[in-house]
Amino acid sequence: MTWLVGLCLLPAAGWGVFLFGTPALIVLAVSIAAAILAELASTLPFGRFTLRDGSAFLTGFIVGLLMPAGAPACVPAAASAFAILVVKQSFGGLGRNWMNPAMGGVVFALLSWPGPMSQWIAPKGGAVQGAVMPPLEALRAAMAGPGAKETTPLAILSSSGFTFSDLDSQVLGWINTHVFSPMGISLPPGTFDVLIGHVAGGIGIVSVPLLMLGAWFLLFRGIIRWHLPVMYLGTFAILAAVFGGLGSGNGWFAGGPGFHLFSGSLVLGAFFVAPDPVTSPMTNKGKCIFGIGLGTLTFFLRFFGSLGDGVAASIVLGNCAAPLLDRWTSRRVTGTQGGAA
Amino acid sequence: MTYPTKLPRGGVDPPAETLVPRDSGITNAAVPSRALIPLLQHSGKPALCLVKPGDRVKEGMLIGNADGSRSANVHATIPGIVVEVGEHCLPTGEVCTAVAIELGGEFETSGKPRSRREWESLSRLDLLERIRRAGVVGLGGGSIPTHLKLAIPPGSASSIFVANGVESEPSICADDALLREKPSDIMEGLRICQALLTPARTVIALGEQSEDLVPEFERLVRQKGIKADVAVLPSRYPHGHEQLVLAALGSRSPAGEQSATVLNVATLYAIFEAVILDKPLIERVLTVTGSPVSHPRNLKVRFGMGVRDLLEECGGLSSGAAKIVMGGPMRGVSVDSLDLPVTKVTSGIVAFEGLAARPHAELPCIRCGSCIEACPWNLVPTRLFKLVRIGAAAAAEREGLSSCTECGCCAYSCPSRIPLVAVLRQGKHALRGSDA
Repeated sequence: MTWLVGLCLLPAAGWGVFLFGTPALIVLAVSIAAAILAELASTLPFGRFTLRDGSAFLTGFIVGLLMPAGAPACVPAAASAFAILVVKQSFGGLGRNWMNPAMGGVVFALLSWPGPMSQWIAPKGGAVQGAVMPPLEALRAAMAGPGAKETTPLAILSSSGFTFSDLDSQVLGWINTHVFSPMGISLPPGTFDVLIGHVAGGIGIVSVPLLMLGAWFLLFRGIIRWHLPVMYLGTFAILAAVFGGLGSGNGWFAGGPGFHLFSGSLVLGAFFVAPDPVTSPMTNKGKCIFGIGLGTLTFFLRFFGSLGDGVAASIVLGNCAAPLLDRWTSRRVTGTQGGAA
Repeated sequence: MTYPTKLPRGGVDPPAETLVPRDSGITNAAVPSRALIPLLQHSGKPALCLVKPGDRVKEGMLIGNADGSRSANVHATIPGIVVEVGEHCLPTGEVCTAVAIELGGEFETSGKPRSRREWESLSRLDLLERIRRAGVVGLGGGSIPTHLKLAIPPGSASSIFVANGVESEPSICADDALLREKPSDIMEGLRICQALLTPARTVIALGEQSEDLVPEFERLVRQKGIKADVAVLPSRYPHGHEQLVLAALGSRSPAGEQSATVLNVATLYAIFEAVILDKPLIERVLTVTGSPVSHPRNLKVRFGMGVRDLLEECGGLSSGAAKIVMGGPMRGVSVDSLDLPVTKVTSGIVAFEGLAARPHAELPCIRCGSCIEACPWNLVPTRLFKLVRIGAAAAAEREGLSSCTECGCCAYSCPSRIPLVAVLRQGKHALRGSDA
């Protein structure tokens, strides 16, 4: 099961390695190796061998996928080791940790090394002009500065001088001329790059279509259930659409939910991390409430916070509530009058 | 025809291996040359032994007398000589007195047509006495002496009476075979129960695999002038359980109230035989199946016949057989000896191949919630399991441990292959121990 989740992440990981080259491969290898070594170091002395369950591998893999390709090797190594040793094994290993190990490791790295955690590498074929930054970071920087008077995230980016690839302008030019101009619509520059993930960012989170491919497989095979991801993404999208524009002074209904769904680690978090059975509620009702909570937290942390894109931090916070949600949502035992819990 | 008003939740869908051909009917198993008849074939107290070694017994003779009301009579299933009365192990692991009979002498009743007795003028007590005398117990799995279920206080009436034809386990199809072979007799049994219970509503509940029998039963209902509905219920395991059948029919009986009665169709047939044919319960229909069995089929078997003889009747086992289970594939008990006898509670015998029987290592619980989805009783099996494992059976009891029917859905659905049922059972034993 765990191995299948890893397999479903491979397309997105492959895209990251293709975009960012050897540094991305090194970051992934280091984070996986560190997780496996930490797992061995914490279980072998007690006579247990737990690598076969795949959870240590998956933790290291997800930590690596969330790292910028330019991060120095010690950062992913420390994040993975923290995830396994502190977050997972100190609570008793697989099944007993209350916080998602990978997210714990990533939050640990974000708090400890904010500088190295933003050493982005320009994607292959992308325009290099000024500082290399993922669109979400660039949007934040632009909105912090004066004169952000555009209404959509992509327009703000363009006016702030953020450049997209030549491929983007070619593809959009063709589509706008042949498909959309008769309808009187024009896609803003950057749409194509953001859509397919041809931008700077975490190694495994830039390509949303490839992540969705893996997610469909997980849903199709019944490894995850739809409740949590749908509630998470839905809540976030609604909140972002309605209130997202308030922060930048654009008023109601101007948040650009599409841009935000395709930026940062939201899709990876919603389909591959938050549904982690160990740290999410067990009941379907609990999963729904959990998803709504995560969507709300991510919205606030992303639009009004400062810790990365808000996904890792909100999952870690949400994990605290999972056992409580299980208790609240357990059903009345058939044939009895009282409550089950 | 009525349809279930409320589809039950929970349960599992194991691969439905109906290896028994639909139209193969019921085969009469050969009379065993030796029968080992335990005196505890029901829930309650064992019957008291009436014979000693050397006694000559006739077919259908009483050999075990019910010990009080929560017990049932046991009869000789073959004519012959009692060769041994001793302690024997039952498939469940319980030890009880069993009577071994060596076949001999002539069959006085078998194969001869029995005259039908009139019953409609009998009093309620006389009817109950006929059923009790014949040693009829629930053949659907509960094995509660049937006269206890039918004895309701005079003047009161049952709100709903259900003839349960939904199979209790996957791959078992003995009830379906009996419904096909003896529909009219089953309906007679139903009429007797109606006379005893005077229910406000009667439902004949059929499983999905018996759906084609609906017109036949509706015809019988009209012909005999019976007030009853025919319903088809989903054949999802374990929804043949009487409480879940009631729930599906939209009539959940509040715990402890005797307003709903559910009897298995095989039990109704036994009631018919007891009351009308004056025949004690000495045989039942059961399913012998599993891929290693050469000719899976439904057989009418006399109690006391050994599993070995029964498997021979079905063409023997292929060499791949690794495990034999008495009962159904989900709740059956794995046997360690082929000499164990078929009893009133044996609804089937299932053989498994090596691959299906192999043991698995238990992995840590990852809180995936599969067991919660599978539990038809809305329990949280993983929580009960963890509480029992740390020795807190009393805390587990507060969360509903005693509502567990050990249907096995949680363990079946667990991806970590945790033996949930075994551990919950230990918890119940621990509770019983602390009560004592």
